[in-house]
Amino acid sequence: MNFYPIFLREMLIFKRRLLNIGYLFSTMITPLLYLVAFGLGLGRGISIEGISYLMFVVPGICAMSSMTNSYTWIATTISVGRLHFKTFEEYQVSPVTATDIMLGEILSGVVRGLFASSLILIAGAIFGAGFPQNPIFLLVWVLNCLIFACFGVISGFLAKSHEDTATFSNFFIMPMAFFCGTFFPIDNLPAFIKGFLYILPLTHANNALRTSFLGQQVEMISLGIMLAFLVISFYLGVITIRRSNR
Amino acid sequence: MIKTEGLTKYFGNIKAIDNLNLHIKEGEVFGLLGPNGAGKTTTVRMLNTLTLPTSGRAEIDGLDVVKQANEVKRLIGVSPQELNLDKELTGRENLRLHGLLHRMKGREERIEELLKWAGLSDRADNLVRTYSGGMQRRLLVGRAIMHRPKVLFLDEPTVGLDPQVRRQIWDIIRDLTRQGVTILLTTHYIEEAEMLCHRVGILNHGELIALGTPRELKAKVGHFVVESLDNGVTNYRLFNTRENAYKFAEQRADDVFIRESNLEDVFIKLTGERIVR
Ligand SMILES: Nc1ncnc2c1ncn2[C@@H]1O[C@H](COP(=O)(O)OP(=O)(O)OP(=O)(O)O)[C@@H](O)[C@H]1O
Ligand SMILES: [Mg+2]
Repeated sequence: MNFYPIFLREMLIFKRRLLNIGYLFSTMITPLLYLVAFGLGLGRGISIEGISYLMFVVPGICAMSSMTNSYTWIATTISVGRLHFKTFEEYQVSPVTATDIMLGEILSGVVRGLFASSLILIAGAIFGAGFPQNPIFLLVWVLNCLIFACFGVISGFLAKSHEDTATFSNFFIMPMAFFCGTFFPIDNLPAFIKGFLYILPLTHANNALRTSFLGQQVEMISLGIMLAFLVISFYLGVITIRRSNR
Repeated sequence: MIKTEGLTKYFGNIKAIDNLNLHIKEGEVFGLLGPNGAGKTTTVRMLNTLTLPTSGRAEIDGLDVVKQANEVKRLIGVSPQELNLDKELTGRENLRLHGLLHRMKGREERIEELLKWAGLSDRADNLVRTYSGGMQRRLLVGRAIMHRPKVLFLDEPTVGLDPQVRRQIWDIIRDLTRQGVTILLTTHYIEEAEMLCHRVGILNHGELIALGTPRELKAKVGHFVVESLDNGVTNYRLFNTRENAYKFAEQRADDVFIRESNLEDVFIKLTGERIVR
C-alpha cells in the first residue's frame, strides 16, 4: 500500500491554491449565492415539513457543494494530468498499484470536498442555521465526498479530452444537484420521477445529511445505498485506472 | 536483460513496430536509431509497460512486461521523450514524490545530490513551470536515475540541450555504464550513439533493418566516404578501402572530400533519409 505520494501531490497543489485569494473566492461564491438566494431570499418565511427553509437548505447545499467539489477537482486534475501534461505516466511506470492511485486521489477529493462545503456550514451558522450536532452527519458527509471523488476518477480516466469530464458533469452531476432534494423535497414529485431519483446517491446524501443535521434519526437504507455506491464506484475506478492508457 | 520476441504494435491500422526481436545483455548500452515515426518511442513504451503490445512478448530481467508489470516497474527508470514533470510542483517536490513512489531510503540526500548534478540547487524550490527546457530535461534524467534502476530507458535524453549539458548527460551515461546499468537509448544524434553505445539497432517504418556494433555496421556499408557536389546536390559514395576511394576521387574534376564513414552514413544508406540535426 503506497498511496501517500499520490495524496501528497494533490495536497501540495491544494496548499498552493489556498494561498491564492481568487481561487478561495471562486470556491465560495457559487454555493454562497445559492445560500443567500434560496435560504434568505426565496425561503424567508417559508417552512418545509415544519422547519425553516434555511434549516432545510443548508444541509442540501452542503451535500451539493461537497459533491461538485470532490468530483470536479479529481476529474480535472486527472484528465489534465493524463491527457495534457502526461504526469500520470510517472505513476504508471512506478511500482504503485491502481488501488494506490485510487486511494490517493479520492482522499484528496475528500479533503477538497470537505473544505468547500465546510465554508457553507460556517456561512449557514452565521445566518442562524446552527451547526450539526450528530456525528452521523460527519460520516455521511465524508461518504458523499468519497462517492463523487470515485466518479471523478472514473470520468478523469475515461475522458478522451478535457471537455468530456465537463460533459459528464453537465448530464449527471448538475441535474442531481437540482433534483435530488437539495432545494425542495422530492416527495411532491410524480411517483415515476421519485422512483428514479431514489436510485441516485445524492438523494440519499441529502436525506441523510438533512436528518442528521436536524438531529433526527438517519434512515439506514440511505446509508446502505451510499455504501453500496462507494463500493461499486471504487471498484469501477480501480478497473478504469488499470485499463487506461494501455 | 531485455528480450523481445515478435514484438508488434499497431495503432488501429498504423503499423508502429513489426515483429521486433531484440536481445540486450546485462550492462549493455543499446542505441535505437531511426527516422521520425520509425517506432523508437513505441518500442520503449512497450518495454516500460506504458503501451500494450498488439502481439509478441517482451521481458525484462526474466519478467514479462505485461503479466508482471508491477515487478518490472521496480527495476526500471524512465526518461520519456515528452517532458512529463509536474510543472505545478517544484523541482525538489518532483524528486521527493519520485522517491516516495519508489519507497526509497536515503531520499533527501539523494535529492540534494541530483539537484547539484543537474545544476538546479538554487532553483530547487521554484516551480518547474519556470524552468527552461534544458533544465527540465536534466531534472527528467535525474529523476529517472534517482532510485538507481537496473534498467534505464532514455528516449532522446539530449534533444534540445546545449553542448555543455549534452556532455553532462553523456558523462552520467558513461558513469552508469561503468556501474553495470543496462541502458536503452534512443537518439537522433548519430555521434552520440557511436560514442556511447555498445550496439545499435536501426529502425525504419517499424522494422529493424540493421543491428550490430557501430564498427560492424560501418564495415558493412564501407569504411570510406567520398562526398561530391553534383549540380548543387551532395552525393555520398561508400568504399571499402582507402585506395578505391582515392581512385574514384581522382576521376572527378570538381571538389571532392574523402573521410572515414560514420554511423550517419550507415543510416542514410539504409534508410535513404537524412537525419535532421
Ligand atoms: N498513440 C498513438 N496513436 C496512434 N498512432 C501512434 C501513437 N503513437 C505512435 N503512433 C504511430 O506509430 C508510429 C511510430 O511512432 P513512434 O512515436 O514510436 O516513433 P519514433 O521513432 O519515436 O519517432 P520520433 O523520432 O519522431 O520520436 C508513427 O507512425 C506514429 O504515428
Ligand atoms: Mg520518439
